[in-house]
Amino acid sequence: MVRLWSRDAVWCLGVLLTMTTGCSAGRGQRAETLRVRGSDTMLILAQAWAESYAKVDAHAAIEVAGGGSGQGIAALLKGAIDIANCSRNIKSEEVAEARANTGKEPKEFVVGCDALAVFVHRDNPMDEITINQLAEIYRVGGSLNRWSQLGARIPAGRDRIVRVNRQSSSGTYEFFRDHVLGKRDFQLGSLDMNGSKEVVDLIASTPGAIGYSGMAFAAADVKMLRVSPAPGKPAYAPSAANVLASHYPISRSLLVYTLGEPEPAVQKYIDWMRSPEGQRIVSDIGYVPIALGGKLTANTCGGAGAN
Amino acid sequence: MNRFATTPLVQAKLRQEALASYAALGMLVCILLPLFGMVGDLVWQAAPSLTWQFLTTAPTHGMREGGVRPAFIGTLYLVTISLAVATPIGVLAAVYLTEYAQDTWFNRAVNIAVLNLAGVPSIVHALFGLGAFVYAAQLGYSILSASLTLAIMTMPVIIASTREALLSVPRSYREACWNLGASRWQTIRAIVLPNALSGILTGVILQVSRAAGETAPIMFTGAVFYKAIQPGTLLPYALDEQCMALSMHLYTLSTQTPGVAASIPNATAVLLLGLVFLVNSAAIGLRTFLRSRGK
Repeated sequence: MVRLWSRDAVWCLGVLLTMTTGCSAGRGQRAETLRVRGSDTMLILAQAWAESYAKVDAHAAIEVAGGGSGQGIAALLKGAIDIANCSRNIKSEEVAEARANTGKEPKEFVVGCDALAVFVHRDNPMDEITINQLAEIYRVGGSLNRWSQLGARIPAGRDRIVRVNRQSSSGTYEFFRDHVLGKRDFQLGSLDMNGSKEVVDLIASTPGAIGYSGMAFAAADVKMLRVSPAPGKPAYAPSAANVLASHYPISRSLLVYTLGEPEPAVQKYIDWMRSPEGQRIVSDIGYVPIALGGKLTANTCGGAGAN
Repeated sequence: MNRFATTPLVQAKLRQEALASYAALGMLVCILLPLFGMVGDLVWQAAPSLTWQFLTTAPTHGMREGGVRPAFIGTLYLVTISLAVATPIGVLAAVYLTEYAQDTWFNRAVNIAVLNLAGVPSIVHALFGLGAFVYAAQLGYSILSASLTLAIMTMPVIIASTREALLSVPRSYREACWNLGASRWQTIRAIVLPNALSGILTGVILQVSRAAGETAPIMFTGAVFYKAIQPGTLLPYALDEQCMALSMHLYTLSTQTPGVAASIPNATAVLLLGLVFLVNSAAIGLRTFLRSRGK
């Protein structure tokens, strides 16, 4: 038995040694590991970029994680990641925290645009909705609880509006609160999903549901409503053309942040995201590419997201 | 009147007997049906993706095609490292608690604390790991942080199961050894541990399935949605990098990625089940082998 024990010990040591050599071998082959974390809206985009970038620069290993824009920014401010994906603008208190913690300013890059789409079940007869109606559905103390109040009859007699929402670390959640609810709080009792795909899946199977998410999550079994900025104003569909023409009222920028000036490998990656090749992936995924060649200002994506 | 006819009392007894056995059988069926239904449905839905390539290729086309190789290897990394850390610490702690510690209020409190820790939800361990390993210990989001978090999560269970295994070794074995002049450590090494080995191993190996299946602890500390790894290398990750993992892959495919064929998450689940099944079978085999050697 004692012999078996010592053999076990040798085996364990062997495994540990293999692992450490594995590490050092890995170190030699790979110059840069880039840590990307944040927005779930941008997760599929970040993944597609990482997948394609492996063919552009074999020395960069990109790690993509989600969790929500808030988690990405929080990790960036503590220096745990290189790039934070964010589907909302950084808040002033987050900038202040970055300054206090690290003495560096977060640097912002626009990498694409999105129309925040409003989804309902495919059998819902509604075609358009105003920002004000959305606020009355979602805000605390809002006056709209039944589809009949909007003049819509849902088949199967499901009149109650089922509000589908996002978790509070989501940038989409915060963007919706800031730009649709006018910074008022959400009403309790909504179904809070951990991802945009979950939102769309739930709406597809719930006749009385309404929800919001990035336009790339459009699916055949849900309907996207046209959104009008105010009663009496024309409503626009969440499309690339309407975003670029600043017609769609709740469009926003898709952003990445770095802490201070990015390191060369990070800068190279971000430059590539904004190159024609990177922007073609943006439009493949279903978002709106930024105007190429033109000036990239905060206003690139028009609408409410520009501030 | 036939004197061998059953009396009403005996008939009642036989009825009760039959009732009890059918009720118990019914409960067994109630458990087995959902189990086989679930596994059968999983395998059925996963069938189109269950190929060798699924295990050996990386996900492609926005994770809608290809396999799960990076996630599979990542899970092996996390499980191996976390158990390599948790097993020696957990077993030695249990040895101290059972073989050395006096029966004082403090040690009783430690025992109760260990049992309670074993019941802490994994999300709590996740937050602890994020604060302790990722930030305080400066390990960053990495395989090391994730493995240590899993180790912290599995350790209390390993301590508890090892304690049970050690306690099941009869006290007379130890006394006989002491009477031959052996020290406590000599007794532990030559008598107690070998006799408890099968029980200890069972406890440890059961934790493999837990470490492989948990999502929350690794999502917060070092598992990623996607990572491009070099094809063909056996050990593609370094310990200070993050990795993909099967449980995380399953979770994110289902919540984040639109347009994924149902067979891919299902095949990932089948793979995870298969891995756990394999490890558990190996444990049972090893235990039978050790027992057959009279240990």
